[in-house]
Amino acid sequence: MVNKPQMSEYLEAALRGAALRQSVLANNIANMNTPGFRRGEAKFEKLLSEAMDGGKAPELADPAELIAESRNTPVDFQGNDVDLEMEVGEMIKNTALYKTYMRLLGGAYRKMELAMRDNI
Amino acid sequence: MEIRGISNPIDIAISGLRVESTRMNVIAENIANASTTRTPSGEPYRRQDLLLSTSDGGISGVRLEDVVADRATDFRTVHQPGHPDADANGFVQMPNVELPMEMMNLVSASRAYEANAAVMKQYKEMMEVAIELLR
Repeated sequence: MVNKPQMSEYLEAALRGAALRQSVLANNIANMNTPGFRRGEAKFEKLLSEAMDGGKAPELADPAELIAESRNTPVDFQGNDVDLEMEVGEMIKNTALYKTYMRLLGGAYRKMELAMRDNI
Repeated sequence: MEIRGISNPIDIAISGLRVESTRMNVIAENIANASTTRTPSGEPYRRQDLLLSTSDGGISGVRLEDVVADRATDFRTVHQPGHPDADANGFVQMPNVELPMEMMNLVSASRAYEANAAVMKQYKEMMEVAIELLR
């Protein structure tokens, strides 16, 4: 029988995804005045939920597959499409998401600890 | 899009902070020299601008390529017959620095600086939660 992946494995994958997104958003903000820069976006939720539905181990393999450069957003006079308000909003959302995953992971570890203690 | 390397958000934010603070230096230089008529090259002062690029295709922040002189705009001509650098008709060539534009760039630089500082703060918050797990 194949072992069903643990909840903590999915949470770890989600944390990696959220950390990657934080880098991408930081990069968008750092390049808000770079001529011709197009904002990047990291998407991992779809891959992760597919893995969860299929009961497979989460594989967020190549970061290049998760990061997409936008093509159809409006650009300003220097060909740059970074919208600071949106980046900041996305970043606050992503930070909250990361903290949630991290606390859930902490809870999962505490549960394991509890199970070990009660069996003594 | 090819990804060659992904940096830590702190390093990315630092690259943004450094570029924006250089921008402040350059703007200050432009404003200080708004009416400098003599430079080593013989012509009036030319306003300086930053040349930026995204760091080599990866997710690793912004890079300052160079500080270049703005050759797209012309020098201002002012009628000031008493000026030592005036020509035969009393006209003086003044730098191509436009104060309103420099002020606008200054506001945009300080806004971008704050945004990068906010990125660092957000990341710090994330890390604090991760450290909680060790308690």
